[in-house]
Amino acid sequence: MWKTSSALLLVVAVLLMVGGVMVASTSTVKGLEDHGDTDYFLKRQLVWIVLSVVAGIAACFFDYHYLRHLAFPLLAVSCLLLVLVFVPHVGVRVGGSYRWLRLGGLGFQPSELAKFSLVVAICWWFTRERRKVRELARGFLYPAAAIVCVLVLILAEPDYGTTVLTAAVSLLIMFVAGVRIHYLVLLAVAGALFITVLVAHNPNRMERLMAFLEPEKYAQTTAYQLKGALDAFVLGGRRGVGLGQGVQKQSYLPESHTDFIYAVVGEELGLRATVPVLLLYLAFFALGMRIAMKTTDVFGRFLAFGLTLMITLQAIINFGVVTGLFPTKGLSLPFISFGGSCLLVSMIAVGVLVNIAHHTGGLIEEPVIRDTLHDL
Amino acid sequence: MRSERERRLGMTEKASRWRYTLVVAFVVLSLGGQAIRLVMLQAWPDQIRIDSINRARQLVKDLSVERGAIVDCHGRVLAMDVFRKVVCADPVAVASNPCLQDVAETLADPLNVSARVLMRQLGSSRRRFVYPAGYGRTIDDDQACLIKEKGFQGVFFNDVLTRSYPLGASMCHVLGYVNLKGQGSAGIELKLDDYLRGVPGLVVGEFDGRRREIYERRKLEVKARLGASVILTLDQYVQYLTEQALLRAIETHRAKAAWAIVQRVKTGEILAMASLPAYDLNRFREAEAESTRNRCIGLVYEPGSTFKISVIAAALNEGRVRPDQVFDCEGGVWMYQRRPLRDYHPYDKLSVADVLKKSSNIGAAKIGLALGPSLMHKYLLAFGFGEKTGVDLPGEEAGILHPVQDWIDISPTRVAMGHEVAVTALQMLNAMCTIANDGVRMRPYVVQRVLDRDGRLLVEQTPTVAARPIKPETARLMSRLLVRATEEGGTGTRARVSGYTVAGKTGTAQKIVDGRYSDSLNVASFVGVVPADDPELGIIVVVDEPRDLHTGGLVSAPVFREIAEEALRYLDVPPSDAVQVAQGARPLPGGRSGRALAALKETAADETQGLD
Repeated sequence: MWKTSSALLLVVAVLLMVGGVMVASTSTVKGLEDHGDTDYFLKRQLVWIVLSVVAGIAACFFDYHYLRHLAFPLLAVSCLLLVLVFVPHVGVRVGGSYRWLRLGGLGFQPSELAKFSLVVAICWWFTRERRKVRELARGFLYPAAAIVCVLVLILAEPDYGTTVLTAAVSLLIMFVAGVRIHYLVLLAVAGALFITVLVAHNPNRMERLMAFLEPEKYAQTTAYQLKGALDAFVLGGRRGVGLGQGVQKQSYLPESHTDFIYAVVGEELGLRATVPVLLLYLAFFALGMRIAMKTTDVFGRFLAFGLTLMITLQAIINFGVVTGLFPTKGLSLPFISFGGSCLLVSMIAVGVLVNIAHHTGGLIEEPVIRDTLHDL
Repeated sequence: MRSERERRLGMTEKASRWRYTLVVAFVVLSLGGQAIRLVMLQAWPDQIRIDSINRARQLVKDLSVERGAIVDCHGRVLAMDVFRKVVCADPVAVASNPCLQDVAETLADPLNVSARVLMRQLGSSRRRFVYPAGYGRTIDDDQACLIKEKGFQGVFFNDVLTRSYPLGASMCHVLGYVNLKGQGSAGIELKLDDYLRGVPGLVVGEFDGRRREIYERRKLEVKARLGASVILTLDQYVQYLTEQALLRAIETHRAKAAWAIVQRVKTGEILAMASLPAYDLNRFREAEAESTRNRCIGLVYEPGSTFKISVIAAALNEGRVRPDQVFDCEGGVWMYQRRPLRDYHPYDKLSVADVLKKSSNIGAAKIGLALGPSLMHKYLLAFGFGEKTGVDLPGEEAGILHPVQDWIDISPTRVAMGHEVAVTALQMLNAMCTIANDGVRMRPYVVQRVLDRDGRLLVEQTPTVAARPIKPETARLMSRLLVRATEEGGTGTRARVSGYTVAGKTGTAQKIVDGRYSDSLNVASFVGVVPADDPELGIIVVVDEPRDLHTGGLVSAPVFREIAEEALRYLDVPPSDAVQVAQGARPLPGGRSGRALAALKETAADETQGLD
């Protein structure tokens, strides 16, 4: 699996570089306006990239099997942190949402950690209970209850994007783990109904949904970002207007360095960059799935599948939002968008993937005995 | 080993393989769909959409430019652009604070609107930017400071280039004002708008998402050219004393209006042009219509007796009458063509000179008959009646002088005494100045020069001759006769200025109310020149509807004296006696030798040919 993991790392490295360049290009206007420094965001992003790479490398050398012992404590800590964001002085309120914990100079989003630890926990649960996966209680109710608890905490911030992503990844892990399909359909329908009711009762959300359905009508208000993003793609065309030459970042796309960075890629570099970036995520997905399928260890397979899907699905949702296929929700583009928490978690996920790959190819001896013992 | 592992995983793997496949298919299809979406958006971009995006972002901005200043003949500033504070408000921010009432009350006074209006405007609007009480309300800096100190949220100030008139109402009709769009709208501001306005600069660039310019994407920048400044012939001090004299006259006589012009006889330069009521140029929007009218050139009135000077000058010039020729003044009432003609004071017999001195209507009428209608009409045209003087101000009236074929048989008698015609004060003054200026009519003007910001001369006006209606000797003779009108026994004695000789003529015209001459409403005027022997200043004073006293001799002549006295002193005009002493015994027209006079007549006759 040397080749697979190397290719995976190469893909991630290219995405990281694209991200660094695009953050440099898009964040200057906002940096100057909000902080009086054109490089404000770039400097922070570089710090985060270094931290994340270090964390990723550490994860490479951390035997993923130990994650099974960490899975539940990690989830507990995540939940605690998710509650902490509501505590004054520890949590920071930004734009009406409690998503941030401030530790020293750098902010951190517990929902990102929760996303990761929930994936690990579900994978471990279904590895342990894989014989009873078709049972109602152990195969469905217990994990579903835990998932819903975490999702509700994330939703309470509110962070709709991460909620939807985490829900989707959790459902798909349960799906491949072999949970009965009608249970999952029931859960999905219940979740969809819940979200619908929630949206209908939140005028803000409702307006966003309406704006998604009728972008022209809301072009100056709610659909402003969306219009700015679509304009960016159109303006970019095939060849793009040139790196750094984009206009959309000049307040036409307020989130041009985070959630809507892909639109600026489209504007400045054109179709000849947007499709390759998309293909990079496809490559990432393919390599991640290859690792998952080659893994003989059940926990490793679930974990590889879950983490790959976590990153790929996030990219897909982000693409969909930016190109106007999905309603707007705040979700960054992994590896490319500005934002430390997501980058850190994504890089750790990559490190875990590489670690799984290395166990698979016979590079590291599979601890079969322990696994078997545990199964008994 | 491997088979062991496969056995162990076997069941789950087989069972869930199709599930993995489904997920992979789902992800690949999603990414594929998005790739198609990207191709749709980007591969063949919609040019119409690109154009509309770019059009919406294009910024084309005129760079406002400082308007040129207007200064008087000594460079004293009469109009200039200054930065002033405009109150702006964000109603949403104001309304979100409990101090709305306080804000409205604080702003009400400087903005000159009621607090209630402001409350309504600021309290209910959902906009984020308004000008309280409307666009263009500027306030003084100290008022702005007071408001700033209160620290209201959502109340702020913009600096705006605003036209400022330091003298307020003085000279308002000549200067005019600039409307809120920056266009000159009256007076010199209108007439010379093209020069004063300058050329605004142009910026072509792009807006960012908050409608601010993106400086690094500026495509074109044309620098603005500052407006040129205008130098007037008017003298601020002469204007001031003229206005003050008129103001006193209006108060004393409780008159409806009064206007006066001071002009240099030899050049046609206007030194002062005042019309009351006036309005503050800085508050032109609050001005009443009556006060915005420049009566000196924009109002025609029946001149009455002052008009006689032109008819008698014509008759003398034509040789139809001699100064000592005696006319029968019929004891005050003369029936001509079965219409009575009355004199204010009854006279029996008067020479032409005395007709002028005593201002006899019957005498003037008979002189008019002696001249005849067609000649009279020709001379009046030459004196500039019935057409615009061409003064460089907008809104001039031509007056009324009916074509001679429309005259009826009594018309010559009526026109001769200043009825059946209507003139502007400026026309009347010009006729007087023509007589004083050896029969040469100068075109009156108020703009001396226009200079651009680098001091280059763009326009320079020099004295121009408009016409020569009468011969120089006739003119001198008329001057001497008109001096008599201000001497003892004349109607204009109150116009006399000590140390100077004054040539002048009073006029008292009855106003026409409902088609009939009114007994109580008059226009009292005096037009004169000083010093008569070496004319410097021509001054006309018209007082509209004076109460108690009605005649030009009692109402307007004293105003003339007030203006003349101070203006002569201010302008350092040597007294008449000194002039005569300095130049030795200057021969009077009568004292010339016959041959010299004949020669003079010949040249004058040639000059008179050039009537236009």
